[in-house]
Amino acid sequence: MATISAHLRNFKEPDREEQTILFFSIPSEPKPPLTKDGKPPLPREGEERMEINAVLSLGVQGEEDAYAGKLYLLPPYLAFASVDRRSVRFTIPLCTIRRVERLNARAGVYALSLSLWHGMKIIVQLTTLRPTADLFSALLRDALKLELQVGRMRAVKAFSKTCYSEVLLSGSSPVAEGEREDGSLINSEKAGEDGQLSYHGGLGLRFKFPGDPKKLREASKTKLWTNYLKTRGRHLTLLRYPQCTRLVQVGLPNRLRGEMWETLSGSIFLRFDSPGLYEKLLEDNKGRVNTSTEEIEKDLHRSLPEYAAYQSEEGIGALRRVLQAFSFKNPDTGYCQAMNILAAAILIYMSEEQAFWLLEVICDRLLPGYYSTSMHGTLLDQRVFESLVTRCLPMIHDHFTEVDVQLSVASLPWFLSLFINSMPMVFAFRIVDCFFCMGPKVLFQVGYVLPPDEIPQRPYVSLQLRSILKINGEKLLQIQDDGQFIHLMRDYFSSLGESAHPDSSDPRARAITRFQELLLVSFREFAIITDDTITSERRKFRSEVVTSIESFSKRSAIRNLRSLERFTKEQVGFIYDALFKAVCVEPPPQPVAPPPSLLATKDAPEERPETRIELKTFRVFLSEIATWARDEKIVVNGFQRRVDREVAEHEFIDRLFFFWDSSFRGSLSLQDLVTGLDGVMFNGLMESIEWFFNLHDKNKDGYLTKDEVLTLSESLLFIFRFEIGDAYLGAISRFMSNAFEYGDALLPPAAEDFPETQIESNQPYLNLATFRMVILAEEALETFFETDLSASFRLEPVPLMDLPPAISSNGLLGGLWSSITSDDNKKLFHKFSDELGRAVGRHQVIHKPSIGRFTNIEEPRPRESLLTPAMRRSASRSSLTSPSDTDVPKSSSSLLAPTSTVEGMTPPPVPQKRQDRDMESIAESFGALSMVQAANAALMERTPFAIDDAKDDEDDSDLDSEVAEDDGVLDEVDAFLEAHDTSGLSDADKALAKDLVNAEPVE
Amino acid sequence: MAEAASGSADKSVQVKLVLLGEAAVGKSSVVLRFVANEFQANKEPTIGAAFLTQKCRLEDRVLRYEIWDTAGQERFHSLAPMYYRNAQAAVVVYDITKAASLEKAKTWVKELQRQANPNIVIALAGNKLDLVQPSPSASGGSAESEDEADDATATPGEEPSSGEAAESLRQVPREEAQAYAQEAGLLFFETSAKTGEGVVEVFTEIAKRIPIEHILASSRGGAGRPGAGSGRTDGAQGGVNLQENQAKGKDACNC
Ligand SMILES: Nc1nc2c(ncn2[C@@H]2O[C@H](COP(=O)(O)OP(=O)(O)OP(=O)(O)O)[C@@H](O)[C@H]2O)c(=O)[nH]1
Ligand SMILES: [Mg+2]
Repeated sequence: MATISAHLRNFKEPDREEQTILFFSIPSEPKPPLTKDGKPPLPREGEERMEINAVLSLGVQGEEDAYAGKLYLLPPYLAFASVDRRSVRFTIPLCTIRRVERLNARAGVYALSLSLWHGMKIIVQLTTLRPTADLFSALLRDALKLELQVGRMRAVKAFSKTCYSEVLLSGSSPVAEGEREDGSLINSEKAGEDGQLSYHGGLGLRFKFPGDPKKLREASKTKLWTNYLKTRGRHLTLLRYPQCTRLVQVGLPNRLRGEMWETLSGSIFLRFDSPGLYEKLLEDNKGRVNTSTEEIEKDLHRSLPEYAAYQSEEGIGALRRVLQAFSFKNPDTGYCQAMNILAAAILIYMSEEQAFWLLEVICDRLLPGYYSTSMHGTLLDQRVFESLVTRCLPMIHDHFTEVDVQLSVASLPWFLSLFINSMPMVFAFRIVDCFFCMGPKVLFQVGYVLPPDEIPQRPYVSLQLRSILKINGEKLLQIQDDGQFIHLMRDYFSSLGESAHPDSSDPRARAITRFQELLLVSFREFAIITDDTITSERRKFRSEVVTSIESFSKRSAIRNLRSLERFTKEQVGFIYDALFKAVCVEPPPQPVAPPPSLLATKDAPEERPETRIELKTFRVFLSEIATWARDEKIVVNGFQRRVDREVAEHEFIDRLFFFWDSSFRGSLSLQDLVTGLDGVMFNGLMESIEWFFNLHDKNKDGYLTKDEVLTLSESLLFIFRFEIGDAYLGAISRFMSNAFEYGDALLPPAAEDFPETQIESNQPYLNLATFRMVILAEEALETFFETDLSASFRLEPVPLMDLPPAISSNGLLGGLWSSITSDDNKKLFHKFSDELGRAVGRHQVIHKPSIGRFTNIEEPRPRESLLTPAMRRSASRSSLTSPSDTDVPKSSSSLLAPTSTVEGMTPPPVPQKRQDRDMESIAESFGALSMVQAANAALMERTPFAIDDAKDDEDDSDLDSEVAEDDGVLDEVDAFLEAHDTSGLSDADKALAKDLVNAEPVE
Repeated sequence: MAEAASGSADKSVQVKLVLLGEAAVGKSSVVLRFVANEFQANKEPTIGAAFLTQKCRLEDRVLRYEIWDTAGQERFHSLAPMYYRNAQAAVVVYDITKAASLEKAKTWVKELQRQANPNIVIALAGNKLDLVQPSPSASGGSAESEDEADDATATPGEEPSSGEAAESLRQVPREEAQAYAQEAGLLFFETSAKTGEGVVEVFTEIAKRIPIEHILASSRGGAGRPGAGSGRTDGAQGGVNLQENQAKGKDACNC
């Protein structure tokens, strides 16, 4: 697995409002961005939410059921839940409300009558104080007005034509029962006689629904539902009374099933909200091929293959379109095996569009994370399931632990495919009915009974039932391994249609199937398992599961690397951790496989999607590893001392990013990072110098241009920006002047005719050998390249951000420290103590050095010049005069005759051990020189750059010129530093910083 | 307890075997062929894992294979450790008409060699051999072969070259896979779940390699030791354990 994602970390428990939205299956809209002061923006008129205590009743004669509960105005929906949140509830789009009247009732009673588009009336009595009720009415009016304005009211009628329930209710008399009993032909007949009703239906209409309609008692179920829908609303306006749940539990009638699923799950609201989106997705992505579509193709013929529709192009095509549309809409999830089975199953009962939206709700809301690439939802719920078994069925749990059977080997497929391919379809669909009506807890409740446990203690379980379960429980207790467990379960599932009490003398008891028994036990015995139980259990195990997924991904990411290079596994582990942290802070774009059009042939092995980080993330990553890639400020305010850490930004870091992007994709993979780090962390002196040179040699021609020399110096200045003392500044300035002297010296002589020609920006200027020589002339730079550069990359955790508070007489705040835990609190505390420190004049900020070699201002002696005085004079002249000075180029070009350069060179007075090396470099540079010379005969002028402005008097003595030149460079350096010094430190601060660091080095 | 687990009454030796490999390479079909000598043209994808058993006679011994057939899709990968823990044998399957599936097979082998039972016997099986064989009888039954027949009548000119056309479907040369298997120390087979070719051999060859005495000894000795025979790693709780089991047995960073 080569994708790294922090989304599991970023999970946030839904807040109260989000929970309400979830509870009522209201499509959630993305939260509006917070306003400047960090608060959610005020709702616009007509969008304000409110909840109010209310009593719900229907203005129906003879029905006297009123329910107390809460009424929620959640534009564009109105919702209600009874006090127990279970018995009665509804979610109704506001646009289905046609009239709202205040009822003229007894004094002190505030009641509203809501007339829905099909004439049904809902009466809500607002049981609060008058002003609250008035406010609610006013907001409701505003919300309705807005609905009218956006014109959604008109959409309702057209939408209702797509619903089968309208067909049931349309006929003055319900459709003849015989017709419905026998299944398949009704659709065409119906369409013939009643053209304007083109309701959505599933493949079952043509290919027959599974099961025997007589046995399923379709006719009587349909009648019951017809009556229910007549009085309690339908599709968009369904009110859910206890009878609704009971009717669902005996199994939905086949023709109504699809519509009821979408109504109960709330996916109908999505379909209503976005008409045509399904077709549009397919249209927009026509012909698109990606990993998901390929995986889908593989499974199309492997989804409920025994069902007739999936042996025909009609069924296969529908399945393909639904799965593809889902993957186009949810590219993160794409396609997960098991979704094919779900989709194939629901398509029997509903249209493609309905199935598409239902799938969306299943994956997004009902079973979140089940089908995601990490499958964290599945893993989490398996953990929860197991924990609940421990709690509810301790004997089974203990036995399983003893024989080391993992429950999830059997239960995982149940959950993933909603039991659809675990038990005979007719039974599975009834569990699915309950699932959409009662929510995910159903899976757990049903899951529990399998394994059916002995539960003899419960007094209300019949003796017979008890004994049956006991037998099953005993069977489970005899299981010795995973295999036997799976076998037992499979046998049990396949016997679900059999009588639960075959030996009973009572024919009614004999008629009870095992499946009925199963549901009975599920919902009675395990009613203790509520949505809340599951929510809290999920919360409990989430981090455990996330950690295990993350460490699994880490291990496989490392295992799948092409090469660990010279690192140990632990070291690569650290690189991974740094990358992971960076991905958390600065999420990269979704990992995607390269577009297929880029692949050479269709059959070429497709690249797996992998996480590749972009520059922004890379900066964070590097700040975890390279000391100079972070700005560390030691803040001392008299109460505490801490290190504030920020990610540094500099062109040098960007350069490194592109340097490591060996495949030119504008992004880096874990392998790129490992290989990149390998290229710098094991280097000795010469390799380091070469690495640094190559890093700045953009066109890889073996030469730095003049601009590149300048950038290189800036890179060095960046790395040394927080070092103490002037050692590096001096070294770099001398390096620059030497580099320019050499570079100019090695330039081909200027042609007389074009004295004004300037060096082109891509003109090769300084080769590696010369560069090396110039670097080695500076001891500070030499040590830097010898050890410090590679050592500045550290594969170890960055020391903690917070130092323990300084022990001071002001121990008051220090004492508080231990009680502060959260990040936010810390930030607040830091701010507070900084302000306090400032007030008492003890606030100081010191930059922590990245290299830390020099702890005082003493500077290592510069090496003696490598150049003869004559050379120096001419070179410095050429590098420091402005191009407008016409006389100089001539004279310098004559002085810079290549022969004289070569002859004038003397071996540099460097320590003996280094001499050979340098001799080589020099020899190399000579060779290169003659090449350049041959190639360029024309006179070249270098491009003017900032340092030129530091005008120098060409008549100055050697010594003066050298000093002045350094000054010029130093001015530039100062300007540079100033420009890059974000802290705005005063000189006094800096001095103090030095003192402090010298006095007691941190860490 | 452990005695009952592996030294069951009929003196057969239980061997836990796991099938791994990319989606739709034919793992379930190979198992079905071995267990029931059947072939189903459209097998549903395996969700999580399926479990089957089959006995296998080897000289005077009877081996009882407990076969875990796993799901092939990449995202089910993290579940695999649950199934290959304690396995004594593994069959890693690829599809010889899909080069990428061999790459996936290699990553499985790598993972098994690092994470699974150290004595695990691994076989590499290149499946769908029938697709690259010039079929003498145009092979039987499946919808694909009917399609082929239709194509053939539509363009009769291609008829004679059908043998070559079949061979050109092959994307993984036998030699290449065999060389890899040798290098990695795996048993190697090419199989066809459709015709049955090579399937039984996979399981009998594995049976020969299983250290049966070892398993018997460890089951006689009571509670099995980790990694030995069908002994279970101790203290493993049921449920979803991605790595705790391995982490216990080995060191913390066994990547
Ligand atoms: N021609 C041919 N087709 C095969 C062979 N083996 C399997 N198939 C077909 O390949 C498809 C996938 O087979 P499965 O056995 O389900 O593959 P799997 O590896 O179990 O797939 P997952 O469970 O998704 O991991 C099915 O349509 C099989 O009919 C074979 O040997 N020859
Ligand atoms: Mg399978």
